[in-house]
Amino acid sequence: MDRPHIEALEVGQEVFEAAKVVKRDDVKAYADASGDQNPLHQDDEFARSVGFPGIIAHGMFSMAHVAKSVKDWAGNPSALRSLAVQFRAVVYMDETLVAKGKVAALDPASGDVTLDVWAEVERDGQRVLTIKNARAVVNLA
Amino acid sequence: MPLNQSLKGREYQELRLEVDRDRVTRFSLAVGEDDPRYLEAEAARAEGFPDQLAFPTFPTVLGILASAQIVVDPELGMDYSRVVHGEQAFEWRRPIVVGDRLFATPRIADIYAKGPNEFLVIEAEVRDADGEVVCVARSTLLSRGTAGSS
Repeated sequence: MDRPHIEALEVGQEVFEAAKVVKRDDVKAYADASGDQNPLHQDDEFARSVGFPGIIAHGMFSMAHVAKSVKDWAGNPSALRSLAVQFRAVVYMDETLVAKGKVAALDPASGDVTLDVWAEVERDGQRVLTIKNARAVVNLA
Repeated sequence: MPLNQSLKGREYQELRLEVDRDRVTRFSLAVGEDDPRYLEAEAARAEGFPDQLAFPTFPTVLGILASAQIVVDPELGMDYSRVVHGEQAFEWRRPIVVGDRLFATPRIADIYAKGPNEFLVIEAEVRDADGEVVCVARSTLLSRGTAGSS
């Protein structure tokens, strides 16, 4: 896998865009693997009873997609140093979640690259940010 | 009813987690991980890792156990039906691998109000069997509409 080089990056540069369709089976598998069995993520009737049109994905399911996108871009399992996200909107089944990352800061001495990252879906013709104000640090040294 | 601010700093029972292959593999598959280093031992060992890698957000398994323990603390006064996951942060010191034994003592790092909502911040250092920190996790739970009411 090609790995990015810090010398070739510039602040403001968009470095990845990764789309994923959110599937019910994956959300169920995530509930079982993570241990988060909140019915909001599995039971449509329950989700409707609290005002949603159907089940929603776990916030952490979306964060995993962001983490994977950053990690895949860095190309090295040890490179990912931190990730902090804010969950701002829910994600429904069969929506396409798009994670994006942009260089926020570069520290050539340490090899640390700070990225602004976020995730969005398109809903009713509008772009909806589901994860925003997120920051990732990867070390490319 | 507002959350009990005096619980800032309270530590809860230590959590333990054996990082087992089945769970790590199921977690990787559920998040769509296709890198073989996260799916089997051989590919990870070929690059010098001691065993199959756990996906970076795998420590959320401990986070779920931590919040399950904390939100039901009767002294905290949290109404779980009002709670949503507001923020999450991880700092990683090394990749977690199958065979790791993880330990974490969650604590309430902060409780604060912003507008009508309250925020409960849970922090935990996740350590391995040697006592080394492998990851620091911080979860912010949002309690909708509980600030300032009585």
